[in-house]
Amino acid sequence: MTVERRDVERIAELARLRLGAAELDRFTVQLNGILGHMDQLAELDAEAAEAEAQAAPEIGAPLRADEGKPDALRRPVAEIATDWRHGFFVVPRLASQDRLAEGGDASALEGIDGA
Amino acid sequence: MAREPAPSLDAIAAAVLAGETSAVALLEAAEREQARREAADPPLNAFLAFGGEHARASADAADARVRAGESTPLAGVPVAVKDNLCTLDYPTTCGSRILEGYVSPYEATVVRRLREAGAVVVGKTNLDEFAMGSSTEHSAWGPTRNPHDAARVPGGSSGGSAAAVAAGIVPVALGSETGGSVRQPAALCGIVGVKPTYGRVSRYGLVAFASSLDQVGVMARSVADAARVTAIIAGEDPLDSTAALLPVPDYVAEMQSGLDGLVVGIPDEFFPDELDAGMRAACEAAIDVIRATGAEVRRVSLPHTTHAIPTYYLIAPAEASSNLARFDGVRYGLRAAGATTTEDVYYGTRAQGFGDEVKRRIMLGTYALSAGYHDEYYDRAQRARALIARDFARVFADGVDVLFTPTTPTTAFLIGENDADPYRMYLADTFTVPANLAGVPAISVPIGTAGGLPVGGQFMAPMFGETAMFAAAYGLERALAGGAE
Repeated sequence: MTVERRDVERIAELARLRLGAAELDRFTVQLNGILGHMDQLAELDAEAAEAEAQAAPEIGAPLRADEGKPDALRRPVAEIATDWRHGFFVVPRLASQDRLAEGGDASALEGIDGA
Repeated sequence: MAREPAPSLDAIAAAVLAGETSAVALLEAAEREQARREAADPPLNAFLAFGGEHARASADAADARVRAGESTPLAGVPVAVKDNLCTLDYPTTCGSRILEGYVSPYEATVVRRLREAGAVVVGKTNLDEFAMGSSTEHSAWGPTRNPHDAARVPGGSSGGSAAAVAAGIVPVALGSETGGSVRQPAALCGIVGVKPTYGRVSRYGLVAFASSLDQVGVMARSVADAARVTAIIAGEDPLDSTAALLPVPDYVAEMQSGLDGLVVGIPDEFFPDELDAGMRAACEAAIDVIRATGAEVRRVSLPHTTHAIPTYYLIAPAEASSNLARFDGVRYGLRAAGATTTEDVYYGTRAQGFGDEVKRRIMLGTYALSAGYHDEYYDRAQRARALIARDFARVFADGVDVLFTPTTPTTAFLIGENDADPYRMYLADTFTVPANLAGVPAISVPIGTAGGLPVGGQFMAPMFGETAMFAAAYGLERALAGGAE
C-alpha cells in the first residue's frame, strides 16, 4: 500500500497539523518508507485467526472488581472552576469570538442566557 | 571510560542520617558536576532545568527532616526526573516547544514518593520530544551527548536521565518507557535501567504518549540502587486506576539469592546473524558467567519477535495521535500568535509547537486509525501484539524464570547517523520493544564494552516477576565484578 501526497494532506487535516509543501513531500516519502515495513504483519493473519479461535492463556495484569464508588468530586464544580458562568466553564476568548462580537451579534456567552 | 566505584544509595542516605554529609552538601556537589559538564565543549545537555531555589529549598527541607529525627530511605539523595513527569516546582516541557514554560498544577505520584522518601529533586532531564525517539536528538532544546563519547547519542528517549547518572551528576534518575526508553539509554551509557511490569508503578503525572505501553522506570549505577528506588515508587495509587493492587516485595532483600537455581532462557531470535560482533561476544561471555553461577541456561524461542517493531510502530503512534490531540493551543502552553479562527489556533499551534518526529508519529497513527486503513494496520498490529505476548507466556509457563538477551543491537551510534531514515532509528528498539508489548518487566545491566563503548544485557521476567528479574541482574552484576577483581 502506498500513500500519495493527497493522502498525506488528508491525514494532516485529520491530525490538525498544518504542513508546508516541503514537509508534505518529505512525509510522503517517509511514511511510504515506514509503512512498507508494516506489510510484513499480513503474514500473521492466518495464525492470529487460529490463535483467537483457541482459548487464550491467562495473560495480562490482574483486574479489580468492577464496582461503583461514590463520586470523589464532592465539591460543586462551580466552586473549583477558575471562571464559571451560566453553568459553563469560561475559557480565554478566541479571535473568532472577538470578531463575532465586533460584528454586532450577541456574544456567545450572552446567547446562552436563556438556557 | 572506566566505571568509578561510587557509593550506593543506602550508603549516601546513611551518611546523611549520621550527619557525615547533608542534602545541601550533596546538592552542591551535583551543581558543581553539572556546571563542569555544561562548561565542556560540547556541553552534555542532560538537563532542561537544574538546581536553583527549588532544589535548595528541597534540600533544606530534607536536612530539616533529618535533624527532626526522621529516618527515610533516600535521605538527602539527589535525584533527576525526566521532563515528562509533572513537578510542582520545575516546568514540565516534554522537550517540546508546545509546552515551553508549562508548570503543572499537580505532581506525579512517583515524584511525590521520592520526596517522601527523603530525596531531593535537583532537576528535569532532557528527552526526545514527548518521549518519541531512541537518541535524545529530537528535543526542542538540542541533543544530549553520551558521557562516554560526546560525538555519540546517549540513547533515548530518557537520554538526559541516563547521561546525568553515567556522568555522576546524580546517583539515580527516573525515566519513562514506551518501547525501551529507559533500558536502551541505560545500555548505551553503561548504567542499570529498569522497566517495571505494566501496572507496577503509578503513571499519575506522567504525560501520556501511548497509554497501553507507558511505564515509569528507574536508572541507576547498580542493580541494588535500581531495586531500592523501584520498591519506593511501586504500588497501588488511588490516582491511577492502572496501578495494580498488589503488594510490593522488598526487592533488595529478596534478590540476594542471585542467579543460583534460576532457569535462564536464551531466545534465539534476539541473536540474529546480523547482530554486531562485539555485542554478540559480550553477550556470550555474559551467558558463560550466568552458567558458571549455577543457573540453568536453556535455549528458547519467541517466534514473533521479528514482528515487534512494525507492531509497536503502529500501536504506539496510534495511541499518541489520540493522546496528543489535547495539545491544541487552548489548554496548555503555546498558542500560535496571529490566529484569527479556532482552526487557526489548532493548526497553527500544532505546526509551530511540535517537532518533526512527533508530527511524523501523529501522522502515522492518524493514518493507522483512519477509516479504510484501521483493519489493515491498527487491528492487525493488535493481533500481532497478542501473539507476541503469548510467546512470552508460553516460555515462562514452560519453567523459564527469566530471559537473557542483548539490550540493543549496537552500541551508541553517532549523532545524526540515522537522520535520513526514521525506520533505521526505530530498529534501535528491536530488543526492548517486545517486553513493552507483552507488559513484562525488564532490566538492562552493563555487561562489558565493545569498541570501547558500553554494552547492556537484558533480563526479562513474567508479569510482576520483578523479584526474579532483580535477582538475576544482581547475580550477573556480582559475578562480573568478581571476575574483574
